[in-house]
Amino acid sequence: MERAVLHAVPLGQMEVFQALQRLHMTIFSQSVSPCGKFLAAGNNYGQIAIFSLSAALSSEAKEESKKPMVTFQAHDGPVYSMVSTDRHLLSAGDGEVKAWLWAEILKKGCKELWRRQPPYRTSLEVPEINALLLVPKENSLILAGGDCQLHSMDLETGTFMRALRGHTDYIHCLALRERSPEVLSGGEDGAVRLWDLRTAKEVQTIEVYKHEECSRPHNGRWIGCLATDSDWMVCGGGPALTLWHLRSSTPTTVFPMRAPQKHVTFYQDLILSAGQGRCVNQWQLSGELKAQVPGSSPGLLSLSLNQQPAAPECKVLTAAGNSCRVDVFTNLGYRAFSLSF
Amino acid sequence: MLSTLSQCEFSMGKTLLVYDMNLREMENYEKIYKEIECSIAGAHEKIAECKKQILQAKRIRKNRQEYDALAKVIQHHPDRHETLKELEALGKELEHLSHIKESVEDKLELRRKQFHVLLSTIHELQQTLENDEKLSEVEEAQETSMETDPKP
Repeated sequence: MERAVLHAVPLGQMEVFQALQRLHMTIFSQSVSPCGKFLAAGNNYGQIAIFSLSAALSSEAKEESKKPMVTFQAHDGPVYSMVSTDRHLLSAGDGEVKAWLWAEILKKGCKELWRRQPPYRTSLEVPEINALLLVPKENSLILAGGDCQLHSMDLETGTFMRALRGHTDYIHCLALRERSPEVLSGGEDGAVRLWDLRTAKEVQTIEVYKHEECSRPHNGRWIGCLATDSDWMVCGGGPALTLWHLRSSTPTTVFPMRAPQKHVTFYQDLILSAGQGRCVNQWQLSGELKAQVPGSSPGLLSLSLNQQPAAPECKVLTAAGNSCRVDVFTNLGYRAFSLSF
Repeated sequence: MLSTLSQCEFSMGKTLLVYDMNLREMENYEKIYKEIECSIAGAHEKIAECKKQILQAKRIRKNRQEYDALAKVIQHHPDRHETLKELEALGKELEHLSHIKESVEDKLELRRKQFHVLLSTIHELQQTLENDEKLSEVEEAQETSMETDPKP
């Protein structure tokens, strides 16, 4: 009896610590593997967990399939952003971008392939990297974050080619406009800037908070999320979620959502957005709310659509945010189940 | 013995018939099974077709909604014909007013010249009058001096 009590105490502490960790966990970023069957999620403790979507979606899924296959400590600080290329997983958060091989991670060998740090102006503080963007045509990666610049890194050589300056405050989000290879960036200063990658110059600036239809001064002017469809752009955050026509820089539709949105994306003929509320909102381009599907986290920070052609059976929408759970929506109409750290 | 033989024959005949029947039933079932397989494959194809059509329809809906959104914004701006008409009307007014201004300026010039002529003639007249006065004064002075001279 005594021995059992003695053993119980240290285990209990460990469990309590883990439970507290899970309670305070925030999942900032998600990324789907190139084969489409696995999902990586990065949290505020710097850990990355790999979930097997094919196992969780299969008909004989058990409780363990909803737990990560492998979890490893990737960064010292939170993992704010992740993207996947054909073979690598790139993660960034505390000022560095690290690369991992998907093949190795799936075999549970979690050793980083390389890590790079963009050239910061001051070496004293290391600004965080909030957003990563892949530019497939140039095979380069664009990083943006706390130092108000967009750094462009060549993926083959690892050199930092250019730094695009223009923002006056840190950058939250990036989006790629495919037709004319331009990058859109939105930041805390309330402006969405379009950069031409070939000339490395700022092509257009849209100051969202200056337009009356969408500005909400009580929320601030920060742009939290961006998505673009070549001719159109959706952005939201402090100002209301608005659809813009890029060529004429006019706001065309304001979506009536009071809560600031943290992630938005175009999907078929809908716009999906998620933010401070519990739900994933589906909007039509005309401004009508088509559906609001509640998730399990009190606030959502990232959405990920698995559209990899190699795994059509894993075509799901996953949403994660202020909790340790990743909601999986197989059909956009309801939440099927949740994966959990 | 004959009866048992005939009974055995009879049951044998029955089992043969049942066996035939089972074979035919099996064939029937096989046929139905193949038909169902074909219809399943057909349904799969139709589903794929319909999915493509849905994607197409969604694209069309998206384009229509984009068009609507832009149209709404354009509607806010005033109509081009009206603005052109207003521009024309304003242009005509401008012309008309400039004509009036020209004619008024011409009149003003004319009057100015006439006044100039008038004033200069007045000055000349004044000069001549003054000259005449001076001449008449000089003549008077000469007369009085001539009168005072012969007296002594």
